Amino acid sequence: MVRFQETSSGEGPVALAVSELSVTYGDFVAVERASFRVTEGECVAIVGPNGNGKSSIAMAVAGLANRRGVVELFGEVAPANDPMWMVSRGLVLIPERRQLFPNLSVLDNITLGCYAWTRSLRSALRSEAVSEALEFFPQLGPRLRQKAGTLSGGEQQMVALARGMASRPRVLVIDEPCLGLAEAVSRRLYQVLAAMNRQGRTIVLVEENPVRALELSHQVVRVQNGVTVEVSRPARAADRSGGA
Amino acid sequence: MTEFGNLVLSGLTSGAIYAVLAVCLALWFRVANMLNLAAGDFAMIGALGVDLLVRVHGWNLGLSILAILVVIALVAFAYDFVVLRIAVDWGRAQEGIVAIFFFTFALSFVLEGIAQQVFGTVVHAAPALWPGNALDFHGLHVQRAGVLVIGFALVVGVGLALCLRFTLVGKAMAACGENPIGARIVGIDSRRFRRAIFVLTAVLAGVFGILGSPITGFVYNSGAGLGLSGVVAAAFAGFTRPGRAVAAGLSIGLLESFLSGYVNTAYGETLLYGVLAAVMLFRPQLMGLPEVAR
Repeated sequence: MVRFQETSSGEGPVALAVSELSVTYGDFVAVERASFRVTEGECVAIVGPNGNGKSSIAMAVAGLANRRGVVELFGEVAPANDPMWMVSRGLVLIPERRQLFPNLSVLDNITLGCYAWTRSLRSALRSEAVSEALEFFPQLGPRLRQKAGTLSGGEQQMVALARGMASRPRVLVIDEPCLGLAEAVSRRLYQVLAAMNRQGRTIVLVEENPVRALELSHQVVRVQNGVTVEVSRPARAADRSGGA
Repeated sequence: MTEFGNLVLSGLTSGAIYAVLAVCLALWFRVANMLNLAAGDFAMIGALGVDLLVRVHGWNLGLSILAILVVIALVAFAYDFVVLRIAVDWGRAQEGIVAIFFFTFALSFVLEGIAQQVFGTVVHAAPALWPGNALDFHGLHVQRAGVLVIGFALVVGVGLALCLRFTLVGKAMAACGENPIGARIVGIDSRRFRRAIFVLTAVLAGVFGILGSPITGFVYNSGAGLGLSGVVAAAFAGFTRPGRAVAAGLSIGLLESFLSGYVNTAYGETLLYGVLAAVMLFRPQLMGLPEVAR
């Protein structure tokens, strides 16, 4: 297997540095010594075919999968298997299959994102984080009292993103945001991601569709059989077309 | 009219017992997706423990209550820290029916065995916190301990329901049971919640045992039956809603009392379970369970 030697060509302080990350499930090696680093404010795409360990990288970075190797967030070494540590320091995962709370209302789902930084419902509801998240997705407005489990797939993905934004993320790790969604909805989600990135949020995007990922990403990490085989910095479609 | 009033009072008294246990079950199930079948045993330990310290060892009542509640909290904490952590948090996690029933069912037997050795096999009760004869208003009778238990059930049920509805921590508790992985993703420590609520409900059950034991008296194996009546009432609250669990417990107590009083004393309980089964069959939405699409 080829093992990629990571290089950093982005400028500015490093938000997330992953080195020699391995994830195993029993005897099955999902990820082997993956390494990459993400500069603050950039968008990095992790691309590759399905079943090659992309989601495992996202889960392990967020502290939700058993891992070896070192993950550093804003220069601090992150403890393994501690998602609470990650969230409280601003790394927020928006997982594949969304992991919402289906019997809680849409508004409850979103405000629970605020648990990362407050225990007060009042300050959560009045926070800029929640109102900003709702501004990004005006179509959720009429559905705030509805149970999240009754929404369509696209709307649920919006709730997941809004919940992530309510956590006041500095680094957003988004796993397959467009899985199973209609093209129009996917385009809308990508517009939102581009807007979040423009606001200075660092984004790690796990995406099977490399064409779409390239629209947004400054850096592309290609994963095959659990190994990072290539890290490149292609010109973004967004930049080519004169800015997103 | 007096007969009706007395049936209501006795129904509310036994209903409040169901209600407290149902609240303990529903709250923990909401957080952990497991049934606390040992809740009744914690009530028994509360009652018989305080009785032992006061009657046999001559301790002061307040100190005895405090000591027993601390013991209950420690036992519950240790149980979660050792057994549930290994069973549910470690690599080979147990899920489904084994986790839902087995571990707390086993705890119930263990506590019962220890209680038999420590407390013996005779019926006892903690000293009454509000001593005196039954209250009497124009022919209506109600035991003082019954009033305490009804009040306790209402305070705990309403308090927890408000907490779940109007605080972020309450919503976080609900989130733990809804989706433990989703909860961890937003930074909620679902394992710590599971442990804290297990300890809290054990202590609540213990308080109930101390308040309510003068009504019927407790023996080492009283816990299992109490726990089961709690399960029935909690079922009508979808196992997840403490406020509704109190309403369900009180309604079941009233129904039981009316069936025994007006229909047939000997078959009161049989009729009760018949009615409850019919409700579950034909009005399952009363149980508050999410509907399954077919």
